[in-house]
Amino acid sequence: MIMADKSVECKGICKSYQRLFGSGTMVLKDISLDIDAAEIFGLLGPNGSGKTTLISIFSTLIYPEQGHLRIMGLDAKRDKDVIRKLINISSAKPNFPWSLTVKENLRHYGMLYGLHGSTLAKTVEDQIDAFELGEYRDMKFEDLSTGLKQRLSLAKAMLNRPRLLFLDEPTTGLDPDMSMKTRLLIQRIHHEQGVSVVLSTHYMPEAEMLCDRIAFLRKGEIVALDTPQNLKNHLGLGERVVVRYVGPIDIAKLEEVPGVLSVTTVSGRAEIVIDRSTENLDRIIKLFSRAKILDISIKEPDLEDVFLELAR
Amino acid sequence: MSWQGELNKYLASAYKNWIISKRNVFTLFELFFWPMISLLSIGLLTRFLNVGPGMVSFLLVGAIALTILQVAQIDVAYVLLFDMWSKSIKNTFIAPIKSYHLVFGALLFGIVRGSVVFAILVIVSHYLFGFDFLRGGPLPVLIFLAGVFSVAAVIGITVCISILTFGQKADVAAWSLSGLILLVSGIYYPAEVLPPVLQMLARAIPLTYFLEYYRSVFIPGPHNLALGAVLAALYLFVGLILFDRSIERARRTGILLRLSE
Repeated sequence: MIMADKSVECKGICKSYQRLFGSGTMVLKDISLDIDAAEIFGLLGPNGSGKTTLISIFSTLIYPEQGHLRIMGLDAKRDKDVIRKLINISSAKPNFPWSLTVKENLRHYGMLYGLHGSTLAKTVEDQIDAFELGEYRDMKFEDLSTGLKQRLSLAKAMLNRPRLLFLDEPTTGLDPDMSMKTRLLIQRIHHEQGVSVVLSTHYMPEAEMLCDRIAFLRKGEIVALDTPQNLKNHLGLGERVVVRYVGPIDIAKLEEVPGVLSVTTVSGRAEIVIDRSTENLDRIIKLFSRAKILDISIKEPDLEDVFLELAR
Repeated sequence: MSWQGELNKYLASAYKNWIISKRNVFTLFELFFWPMISLLSIGLLTRFLNVGPGMVSFLLVGAIALTILQVAQIDVAYVLLFDMWSKSIKNTFIAPIKSYHLVFGALLFGIVRGSVVFAILVIVSHYLFGFDFLRGGPLPVLIFLAGVFSVAAVIGITVCISILTFGQKADVAAWSLSGLILLVSGIYYPAEVLPPVLQMLARAIPLTYFLEYYRSVFIPGPHNLALGAVLAALYLFVGLILFDRSIERARRTGILLRLSE
């Protein structure tokens, strides 16, 4: 078995989509990162930021124009045939041959991975059970709901027992219950089977729940790479103190309080963003002494805030 | 990997094509309707023109060859066409497979379908037009079929290469290339009646030689079966190399990803 400390090591990856005639469009610029085999790594970014392209390059579906890439310690160019046995992918918009049923699709792709005989039959059944596809096993792909298609895609991605799993927006189209089940399943696959996971997602709670580290992509470049907590801390987003009040307040004085990053007031509602490290909440509250405070809430920054900040 | 695992990589394409075909009502058109139209129209033409038995055999050998060629080549092309139409091409090429797994698996199913069509046409041509296709015995028939199926594989590979090079619009090649074969490889007339330039093209197509070989069973005449066999083997070999290269190129250009979106 191939064991490596890093699931992905890439340096200077560039990619543009070439046309047969004419120039191409640059979609990834100088991407360099290392992903530990022991972590679940997230790729976040707005639409068109290059997440799917980067995952497609990591999975050797397409090749970069420049840069060096190693997957599970293997050279992505030289050892691509070995790598393809060790990895698998579940796509954001899962598509399979329309008229094949769930079971037939899994069987077909299992055969492409060289499974045969009782191993093939058992693996297909195991995945049908794991992804709760039992009652849909004989339903054609074209008749499946979006959520079921996504589950089939995840089941297909586990057929070859991959050492490294690429998940491109794995919970898109799933209802909240199935989304949570899928996230728990990803955690279980990672922790119990030791499968390295690289996923892209739009859902910030998903990234916060699953990912050890996150890379934010914008216009084909990595604009931030860290743990979810560090990203929230280091971007200076601060905590959001929301005060509903009646009466006068001095906004200028509020803005002068050390650690206050911004103040927004709209019809009896003040939103004050503060740097948590300054611990000046009491001074802020005192500035509301001439008014009557109706309600006060404090919200920690989440990845949604990080996303919005970085996507600007 | 065990030999059974390797074998299943080939059989995967045959399995997919089989399932899709059996659920598609238009398979009946491919297997029965169009082959019968082709055979009956040519057979009735021979009656109208009141040609002798030699000319009947000449034309019906051509009609049968073209029909099974079309059925088998589209099966090889289907290996990518089905994936392209369902936008699932990504799932195929993320797997550890090579072009020959896809081609030979799909060709296997094409041979089965082509053989069914061949059997139907042989029986119908015997009863309706008194033509005994099997007169030459099993070996010439097997050589003839092997030649037609190998040319079908080459055409199917060419379609796949076109798709990976030019994208979705290239699927028209799946139905156009056999038209070119019809024109230049002596399906309904000897290659000698073609203009000199097209004669050169005809001499580059293995089917021309396989047709001349099998027609010599009915109308004794010269043929160069060995050259046809060498050309067919060469084209198949080169075709597989070019198919692999077109896959690699599609990975470089990103067309594999675009065909999946």
